[in-house]
Amino acid sequence: MRPDIDSIEARAIDWLIRQRDPAFDDWDGFTDWLGEDPDHAAIYDTVASLDQDLGALPPAVKPMAATVPTTPLRASRRGWFGGAMAAALVAVVGLSTLNPFGSADRIETAAGEQRTIELADGSRIEINGGSVVEIDKDRPRFARLESGEAMFHVVHRDNDPFVVETGGNRIVDLGTAFNVVRRERQTSVAVSEGIVLYNPDRDKVRLVAGKAIEVRDNDRKAPVVQDVDVASIGGWRSGLLVYNGAPLAVVAEDLKRTAGMDVRIAPVAADLSFRGALIIDKNRGRTIADLAALSGTKAQRQGDGWILTR
Amino acid sequence: MAFQSKQSMTSSNDRTDAAQGIEGVLLANRDRIVRFLLARGAGDAAEDLFQDLWMRLTDRPAGPIADPLPYVMRAANNLMLDRYRSARQSALRDQAWGETAATHAPSAEIALISREQLALVEAAIAGSGERAARIFRRFRVDGANQRDIASEMGVSLSTVEADLRKVYAMLAALRRQFDAS
Repeated sequence: MRPDIDSIEARAIDWLIRQRDPAFDDWDGFTDWLGEDPDHAAIYDTVASLDQDLGALPPAVKPMAATVPTTPLRASRRGWFGGAMAAALVAVVGLSTLNPFGSADRIETAAGEQRTIELADGSRIEINGGSVVEIDKDRPRFARLESGEAMFHVVHRDNDPFVVETGGNRIVDLGTAFNVVRRERQTSVAVSEGIVLYNPDRDKVRLVAGKAIEVRDNDRKAPVVQDVDVASIGGWRSGLLVYNGAPLAVVAEDLKRTAGMDVRIAPVAADLSFRGALIIDKNRGRTIADLAALSGTKAQRQGDGWILTR
Repeated sequence: MAFQSKQSMTSSNDRTDAAQGIEGVLLANRDRIVRFLLARGAGDAAEDLFQDLWMRLTDRPAGPIADPLPYVMRAANNLMLDRYRSARQSALRDQAWGETAATHAPSAEIALISREQLALVEAAIAGSGERAARIFRRFRVDGANQRDIASEMGVSLSTVEADLRKVYAMLAALRRQFDAS
């Protein structure tokens, strides 16, 4: 049923794309296609209606502030647009040994639970679910991401860099916004504003806004800098996860952290990658159904969670 | 002044000619248009909708039309889409779905997605990859044609087409998620 609908939808999209050409004249061919099955007209309507709504898209890529809804429907979506972020300067990601903790506060979020903490200096840490962050009252310009994911919005202070520590790496930040994920033996950094220097003592990789790296703990080679869309950095904060060819296991891990969903990937589906946008729906079953449909897998209930198979 | 009155007379003549031309095309292609409306889901209303189309096209001041039949068929297609959107708008209003549905009267002109959803659509386009997002924006937002996009970006026409398909498919899937939530 579903693959059928998908292929009809693909044909409907093809017609729509062709019809946007003012010189399109194959209306007889279009009529024939519509006549093949009553579903064709219905699916074409939904796609053409969507296309008409896209007429409201602003003409140029604007900063996210241009599209801020004045009254977001859901509070959880508010974070997507952020606030006025600190002027970006330079951040440095470095390698060091762990610093001893004095009066540390440990903030641990359950899977699916997100928290924002405001620091005394005005910096802000948005913590995704399933994560552990430590802050220290005696060291107001320091935070440690023990595990999980967090988005840091750091207020710049001359000569007083903000330090984020994760997995033995030190991120020395002089005023920027970036997302950090600490997975098992792997650190990911994506910069949405400002500049980050990764391991200035060793790799000397410079990350500007819109760049990201993924580094395994045992990588010997310098990390490869990748392009990442600024709008999708920290997407977990708004309940929209956007992927451009990510392994399903990574998607499952993100769903666990962000929404508290238990999703296992069967070995036969382990090699599949996922491309698309996933909304964390209140009805988790919808989110799973979408993930399955978009990745070409089947979802089955398993205990409190789901398993994706082929 | 003389120029202006001449101008308006000319355009009035053009309008009459155009309307007559359109009427001729509507009459000559009546069966074809009704067949299209039926295939498009008009059902029993097909004949009435043909009359609606007639009113729309002969009422409207229009300049000379180079190729009247595709113009008429496109208008018929738009009529059916407007009809779908009006019905959809009423259904959504009945469900008190979303802010647009809750605050506006039904109209085909009104967007069926909220500003919030549009922002998510923008983010999803941006997240579809730099090249695909740019191609899609040039095509759908700027109205550039595929050939121009291909040459300005230095990619093949089939790449442009594939990226457009990919982004549209992703947005259609996203739209389904909006509808379900």
